[in-house]
Amino acid sequence: MKKIKEFFQHDNIGYLFVMPALIYMLVFNGYPIIRNIILSFQDVTVKTINLAHKQFIGFENYITLFKDPVLSKSIINTLLFTICCLIVQFLIGFALALLFNNKFSVAKPIRGILMIPWMIPITITALIFRFMFASNVGIVNEALQLLGVIDKPIDWLLQPGTAMFALVAANVWIGIPFNMILLTTGLTTISEELYESASIDGASRYQKFSYITLPLLRPAIENVLILGFIYTFKVFDLVYVMTNGGPVNATQVLSTYSYKLSFELFEYSQGATVANILFVILFIVSLLYLKFTYQEEEA
Amino acid sequence: MMKEGNSVLSKKNIVLCTAAIAILIILLFPLYWIVVTSFKFEKEIFMSPPTLFPQAINTASYYAQLESGDFNMFRAFGNSAIISVTTMIIAIVLAVPASYGLARYKFKGKKLIILSFLVTQMLPVSVALTPLFILFKNMKVINTLVAPILADATIGIPFSILILRTYFESIPKELDEAARIDGCNRFETFIRIFVPIAFPGVIVCGVFSFLYAWGDLAYALTFIGKQTLRPITAGIFNFMGQYGTKWSYICAFGVVTIIPVVLIFIFMQKYIISGLTAGAVKG
Repeated sequence: MKKIKEFFQHDNIGYLFVMPALIYMLVFNGYPIIRNIILSFQDVTVKTINLAHKQFIGFENYITLFKDPVLSKSIINTLLFTICCLIVQFLIGFALALLFNNKFSVAKPIRGILMIPWMIPITITALIFRFMFASNVGIVNEALQLLGVIDKPIDWLLQPGTAMFALVAANVWIGIPFNMILLTTGLTTISEELYESASIDGASRYQKFSYITLPLLRPAIENVLILGFIYTFKVFDLVYVMTNGGPVNATQVLSTYSYKLSFELFEYSQGATVANILFVILFIVSLLYLKFTYQEEEA
Repeated sequence: MMKEGNSVLSKKNIVLCTAAIAILIILLFPLYWIVVTSFKFEKEIFMSPPTLFPQAINTASYYAQLESGDFNMFRAFGNSAIISVTTMIIAIVLAVPASYGLARYKFKGKKLIILSFLVTQMLPVSVALTPLFILFKNMKVINTLVAPILADATIGIPFSILILRTYFESIPKELDEAARIDGCNRFETFIRIFVPIAFPGVIVCGVFSFLYAWGDLAYALTFIGKQTLRPITAGIFNFMGQYGTKWSYICAFGVVTIIPVVLIFIFMQKYIISGLTAGAVKG
């Protein structure tokens, strides 16, 4: 008892403060990660889930899945979705950050209000866009017909290419405020004086942008792209509600495929395997991200 | 006389304001659209070209679901509120002391603990779903609100710890000593001195933990099969599956779900933006 008291005498008391949260996270997050890895090496389906002894089958799930065309399609779809979203939301978010970096009357309140799309539940965003892209009542079809771009309504969510387009549009809508705010914060760290002295030296607007703004904003840009990659790559709710991976797996992404395997086909081990593949990819990217931020903090 | 650049009526100001308002209208149009649709009669929704403002206001979509029907919006809203508030409390109670410990004391394994909190923030929901489902089944909490609450808190806790750590680190060391001299022990110092100072940070964490739980779909859908216990997001999802084209009802549902978010935004805007930037930039 005395020894325990002594142990916590000085800085070690920090353990007592951290312990409850740490234990909680180990039980409800750490354990699932480990359990998920184990599950991916077993053969657990709806038939075997209640058996005490679960059969260990090594890499068989991984081998089966890598021969599965739906998995490769899901990987390609996830990548395509992520890259399209990242490019579009970054460019628009950046443009808006630059615009709102100017001083004008309504800049701050409007920039604030633009955060709302990022805050609302993704389920609702998905249903709004499902409504807007609906073939018979959707405003997108109505607007395009009115403008004469198309003659007859498009079944946006029922055709492979257009379904992906609709998903990207919805996700970009969520991503724009996120990019805008992070880049705005980056912009405010660049000192006004730099621009002033550049003006005195006769630099043009374009020169100021490419020689001052871009290089100094690089850390913020890297940040927003890597974080954006992580958040977009693990997309679930949006795809699940808008298309549920359809039509015929055309918009199937890793997380929805994992969910389908586990909770619609009850192939728990295969679902866990797909989730694990997703996890490994994100884990590597996360480590890259941490390396970036830590280097900056030390520098 | 005012300098031209500062004047409200300067050309630059007018051009920028117009551009900003145009962007606002375009980007928030989807929200306007579901609000308007929720007040339209089903017949008007299917009109071509669509009307930008309802010809006749119809509030039946809201009333119909309050009473009873296949899906009770009011009850689902209540379930969501219970889940989100409880999640928020768990996240705060666990995250505040943890972040204080990580910010003020040096101990072995501290860096590893911080790193693991950072990594869990990036965890895809699909990884935890099946194992948690099995765990909750063994704990006999499947089909209760406890299951999504326990799962949702795992999103709020690491986020809150990372945010609050920077708050506690920014408080000068001398305060510890001053409190010690005044006779506070270390727990009293934490509760009576540090928590009040870090209070804005605590609000940020509360808001985000609430919002994460409010927006959750996957956990609620997987862990709760009973319609009467489902939160509003899972409820809408179900409703869409059954009545996919009853758009006035679906939009009404959506509006009701968004209302708390908009209220939080109005009253907490300052905290939200600081939380987002601090959380994302620092990790």
